[in-house]
Amino acid sequence: MNSRRDFLRTSAFGVGALALTPSFSAFAGELSGGAPRRFVFIRKSNGIRPNELALPSFTAEQKALDDKKQPLQVDLDQHELPGWLQPVAAHKANLAILQGLSCKMSENGHWSYSSVMGAFKSGRNSLSGIKRATIDFELAKLSPSPFGHVELSLTGNYSSFRTGIVSGYSAPGAHQRNYCYADPQTAYNELFKSVTNPDAVDSDNAMLEFLQGEESFKAGALQGYEKLKLSNHISSIESIRGRNKKLEKMSGSIAKYLPVIDKVHADGGPNATTPEKQKAMTDILIASLVTGLTNVVTYTIDELSTPIKGLPGNEGDQISIHELGHNGGYSGIPADKIREKIRVGHMEQVAKIVEGLKAVPEGKGTMFDNTVVMYFPENGEGHHSHGTEAPFVILAGDNCHLDMMGRYTRLPYHATEGHKTIGNWYTTLLNAYGNPIEHYGDFDLEMARKKFDQTGAIKLFMA
Amino acid sequence: MSYHLALAGAGRCPNQPKFLLNFVIKEFSTPPSDPVSKLIRLGLLVLACSFSVFPALALEVPKAKTLLENHCFACHDEWEQKGDLRFDQLDRLSLEERLDLLNRMQEQLFIEEMPPRKEKKQPTDDERAELIDWISGELGKHNASKLEDKLQKPEYGNYVDHEKLFSGEYANLKAYTQDRRWLISEFIFDAKFNRILNHQGTKTIDGKRESVIGDNNRRVNLTNPFLLPTNTGVRYYANATLDGGHLLTMITNAKETADYMISLVNRDRRYLPAAGVLMDQEWTHEKVLASREAFLTSHIEQVLRDLYQGEHESLLPVFVPVETGSDTPAAGEATKKAPFHSAQPGQTELVLIYHSMCRHHKEGQSDRELIRKCEQEWFHFGDNERKIQTRVTFLENYMEEWRGQIEQHKYAERNKPPVYKPLDEAEMQIIAESIRKHRQKGDRYQAIIAKCLADWEEGFQQERVAAGAPETATVDALVGELFVKIFERSPTADEVGKYGALTRNYIEGLGRLPAIHKLIQTLILRSEFVYRSEFGSGEADEFGRKMLSPRDASYAIAYALNDSSPDAELMKAAESGRLETREDYKRELERLLKKRDQYYIIDESVERLDLTASITNTPIRKLRFFREFFGYPQMLPIFKDNKRFGGNYDQSKGRLVGEADRLVDHIVQKDRMVFEELLGTENFYVYHSGDNEAMTASSERIGRIYHYFKDLGWEDFEEADLLKHKEFLTEVQMRGVDVKNLGQNGRRNSIREFKTAMASFTLRFDDGETAAAPFVSFPAHGVYNASTRTGMQLRAPEVAKFFNIQLDKWNYPSVQPAKVDHRKGMLTHPAWLIAHAQNTETDPVIRGKWVREKLLAGTIPDIPITVEAVVPEDHEKTMRTRLANVTEKEYCWRCHERMNPLGYTFEMYDDFGRFRTEESLEHPDNLITKGPDKAAAHVDLRDTYKTLPVDPRGVLAGTGDPALDGEVKDAIDLAGRLAKSRRVRQSIIRHAFRYFLGRNEFLSDSKTLIDAERAYLESEGSFDAVIVSLLTSDSFIYRKEYPTQKTTDHE
Repeated sequence: MNSRRDFLRTSAFGVGALALTPSFSAFAGELSGGAPRRFVFIRKSNGIRPNELALPSFTAEQKALDDKKQPLQVDLDQHELPGWLQPVAAHKANLAILQGLSCKMSENGHWSYSSVMGAFKSGRNSLSGIKRATIDFELAKLSPSPFGHVELSLTGNYSSFRTGIVSGYSAPGAHQRNYCYADPQTAYNELFKSVTNPDAVDSDNAMLEFLQGEESFKAGALQGYEKLKLSNHISSIESIRGRNKKLEKMSGSIAKYLPVIDKVHADGGPNATTPEKQKAMTDILIASLVTGLTNVVTYTIDELSTPIKGLPGNEGDQISIHELGHNGGYSGIPADKIREKIRVGHMEQVAKIVEGLKAVPEGKGTMFDNTVVMYFPENGEGHHSHGTEAPFVILAGDNCHLDMMGRYTRLPYHATEGHKTIGNWYTTLLNAYGNPIEHYGDFDLEMARKKFDQTGAIKLFMA
Repeated sequence: MSYHLALAGAGRCPNQPKFLLNFVIKEFSTPPSDPVSKLIRLGLLVLACSFSVFPALALEVPKAKTLLENHCFACHDEWEQKGDLRFDQLDRLSLEERLDLLNRMQEQLFIEEMPPRKEKKQPTDDERAELIDWISGELGKHNASKLEDKLQKPEYGNYVDHEKLFSGEYANLKAYTQDRRWLISEFIFDAKFNRILNHQGTKTIDGKRESVIGDNNRRVNLTNPFLLPTNTGVRYYANATLDGGHLLTMITNAKETADYMISLVNRDRRYLPAAGVLMDQEWTHEKVLASREAFLTSHIEQVLRDLYQGEHESLLPVFVPVETGSDTPAAGEATKKAPFHSAQPGQTELVLIYHSMCRHHKEGQSDRELIRKCEQEWFHFGDNERKIQTRVTFLENYMEEWRGQIEQHKYAERNKPPVYKPLDEAEMQIIAESIRKHRQKGDRYQAIIAKCLADWEEGFQQERVAAGAPETATVDALVGELFVKIFERSPTADEVGKYGALTRNYIEGLGRLPAIHKLIQTLILRSEFVYRSEFGSGEADEFGRKMLSPRDASYAIAYALNDSSPDAELMKAAESGRLETREDYKRELERLLKKRDQYYIIDESVERLDLTASITNTPIRKLRFFREFFGYPQMLPIFKDNKRFGGNYDQSKGRLVGEADRLVDHIVQKDRMVFEELLGTENFYVYHSGDNEAMTASSERIGRIYHYFKDLGWEDFEEADLLKHKEFLTEVQMRGVDVKNLGQNGRRNSIREFKTAMASFTLRFDDGETAAAPFVSFPAHGVYNASTRTGMQLRAPEVAKFFNIQLDKWNYPSVQPAKVDHRKGMLTHPAWLIAHAQNTETDPVIRGKWVREKLLAGTIPDIPITVEAVVPEDHEKTMRTRLANVTEKEYCWRCHERMNPLGYTFEMYDDFGRFRTEESLEHPDNLITKGPDKAAAHVDLRDTYKTLPVDPRGVLAGTGDPALDGEVKDAIDLAGRLAKSRRVRQSIIRHAFRYFLGRNEFLSDSKTLIDAERAYLESEGSFDAVIVSLLTSDSFIYRKEYPTQKTTDHE
């Protein structure tokens, strides 16, 4: 276990790193050798009920253990996957199903907002409730890139989708809310601007150049601490110009992998169906990783208020995910079946990401070798969750630092000896990828009351 | 070391912190006084010069070594390593370890912590200075000294000797603050953008609509990058600088703001008239296009029929109906149908569908026929196939419910279909010509409209090109308007020239609208926007000081009291030469401090948590000073176990903080003996809105109901029995009791709600209570029983549990603040106690440290890197015993003796701030009984464990008053003594200085602090008097330039 001293000595958390706000440090840094580590977080709403992840080919004994929430680990290659996971069946060796984590220290019920990725209670969605940088931003610091971190979302108000740049769910730091691209066209325009709209980039650069000149003129006449203030302003402008220059240099590679976005997505895509939006977002997500614009993407594939339109088999229905949670069916199709169809749609996108990255060579293998994709419900085990379970479906390549792929793992149940929380899981990710933090996130209070140890990484998964 | 050498050296330190350098110069310009102050000055000088190579001051290492041998090795060499430290092997340490150790040595020597005070053999002042000098030199080689940074931070403000500050010995030094830029705070950020974006918050308070500052629910999605640190104490300081993270966020903010500002101009040209002039032609064209598009969208069918008469039908595309089939449900699968509200396609779509239905309605027609006609209309119009599919599916599945909705929501009245009315003749002619030009056989209507619009747009664009570049005067006027809007000042001629040229470049390259957009972004990203400016102007006095420029003074005063720009009167004073003397400042400050016509939201998160009315009409920064000084809002992010609380902690914490705010506000508004009251009051708010009259009425009302029914056998009432009391029930209005429909089998179960309420009231009165808390008897939306001042339901009565009050045995005091047992002052308020505790246990160290630093102006060295600050678990011992076991060893006790004896006294409260005499040893092994997991609010859900008696005795040392120092019984005793202490009063004033001046105090601020204390005493404890004194002091009003010529962007 790393001590406080080790923690303080770690450069990633040293004074230098803290001088920059976390979002900035994620792009300001340079990657030190080797292929970048990539992380994709895919948030879904409405929970995943633990039995939906149970393997249909469990033996009676395994099933009994799983039903009773007892610890269990089986190899996936000996088993069938549940129907909705079939789209990733070809990648079983790269797949891990993780059951038994809990997330009671984050918000439960319908929504978790930023909290599920930060392991804190967010006081509903209040800004002051954001207690720390979420796990994706922490990982982005370990794997810097020009954009640092990209957040995508498909959310709405039950009848229409949000569009443009809107507030996101990730947090670059305490009390800070990230922004996200809410429709494929906006994401496309903003991320690939250096290729698709060089004039806009040029005008941004001209503006920054003007500002730099003006501030430098003012700073030239100052001394001491006041000079420092303006020189910080100037160097901040320089850094952003530097990033823009880097992006310009990357325009060749960006052009090579530029996704094609259907014109149905123009102007926010009011006529695009939910599967069409998901497909376009997946293309953008893959391109943002493949072009090197970012190494970390967080993607809210849906939340309770995301309208579901054009779902295969329910093409004409406008489906409310929230209503599905209350068992309401559409056009005679029961809620559970529609829920499953939605998950199948999600898994098709996950498979596409995996295959998209596997198709791009990197080093001696492919880009997927250095990627971890996590698909998880934002609010635990159900529509009205209590946070006693927080399942994860993980796909990771051969260079993954985690020893869990190819297995179904059920950890000890909440508030029992050996139980692990999302805090332990995020600590595992951080420790495995270079941040020796002792524990990330708040503790579970019932575990604390029962005096169970709950600090640190999940040793079982540390490669 | 000579004075000349010091100055000569100072001249060769181009990058050293100027405040230190100036302090050194200033200090050396005064006669040397006692050895200690000389040493402090000496130390600062050394520090000031240690940040660059400074050979003139470097000492011989052997001398430093001798000093170390003589004064340090006794405890830190090969034979003894107190604190695991040895100094005889510095050269063998890694660079990182050596620098860490040297930093600690430097600090310990500087604040005279080492050698320990009890050691008889102390270094002379010169020896101490020489040793510091050597260490500073070593650190300077690696640019690794941390003391410089620390001395600028508020938490190290106490490093300046307290006795000296208030001794009067330094009162003749001339105070000033350096000319400076001060990064805006998170609050100023919001106020600035709210002003620019015309966002004005309002709220109903006490039944009246009031203007409210701090409601940041803007229509524009902005991210606030200027967040203040989350520590307790002073948080907003002038030493912060903008970094890349700030700027990156500001770039996005600037874009969003520019978008919204342009939309404001489009709505009302008065917002930025020059932008309106620049865009006039383009926007006129847009309006024409929009009008034609709207007309055609509504009436194209009619227009086409008029134009093409009989030929129209033949030009229509062939209708292709959509498919609406769905998966076939499995046989026998029971399906619950989603209700209407979860399946309807949205309000805009519903209105559109309704209009189509109206157009195609025909008596006797089947639904299927109607739907088909509508579909045909949508197809011909060119609506997206999926949209049509959704509408048709909706109509097929929900027609019955939809017709019900149409009637219920009076669509016929509220959503009348548009009636055809042609545009004027000229417009109709243009439209007709264009349609004739573009319509092709098979075109859907939208395609025709799009072709016409494209044609018209092209023509308009040509007109605009022909009109040429905009007038220079218009562009310059735009620059001027934006400067006023964004910086609240006119640009200089130079700025008009520079920004005018920039704008013309933008226009040439991008076009007019993007150019305005870009100009707004450019201005928002200037340093002037993110920094407040505080510079002196005019003639310097004989000490080289200038008074704040009137404009900067007006902002400095406004931002000292609020987060917003100066009000009109203050601005006018600055412009009209009435902000140039100390008396002018005083006049404006007193006026602003008395203002009560403006409300502020104290904390949006508190308001959101429990619907608490977190509002005040006290100038917000006055209240915020104490909020941050005590730091009780810091309890909000502390995550605590509902089970250990014995109730719903999550739903009570917001109310607890809100009521702590209310208490502070109450004391601050009275403005009499403010410090003594804050530290010594025995009266608190507990589940109270702050409106005594309303709370009394609410409490009396439930008393009346209880006493009216209590002996009438209400437990056996049937609904008919309630009818007998109709008159009384109509008067008292019980929630859920539908008096009008009693006995009519209405929707409400009146008798059930009546009995629930009476059962709850009985619980509150059946132990002989004379008044009961008016909390709700059962969960329901809306207001009943008590309400907040903003008209919301007064929630979270379990806040009483923090004060050991049982809801079912509470003689509720309607007039508050009211006496609560075992409490005295803010340090015994549960919010403060929780904020200064851990998640699951108390923290005497943190509590003691707070008292030492905040009230006794003491210092505690930083925790050494070698120390693992963990109190070992032992479920057979109290926290005090466990803590004592690890901190009362000699090495630890040196620091802990300044904290623990103060912190121990608070052990009379647990980590929820509840009074206790026994400490619960919470561990599964010690469990005695399990509490219920769920129950009504008055029930205590806690498990019970074995306990040990609490020992809350402690020691107060450091007030400098023998009558107060000494052993204390507990926290109540401690609070009583602190409230009487002069040093405590002075310490609060020092923190107020830091808060309002945004920097640490120096000895040269001595007179400012003494005057502030005097003002407090002479005004019988008015905090307003302290503020006025601080903000009219030399420290505030006088500024000094840096040695080289400065350039300001507003002269």
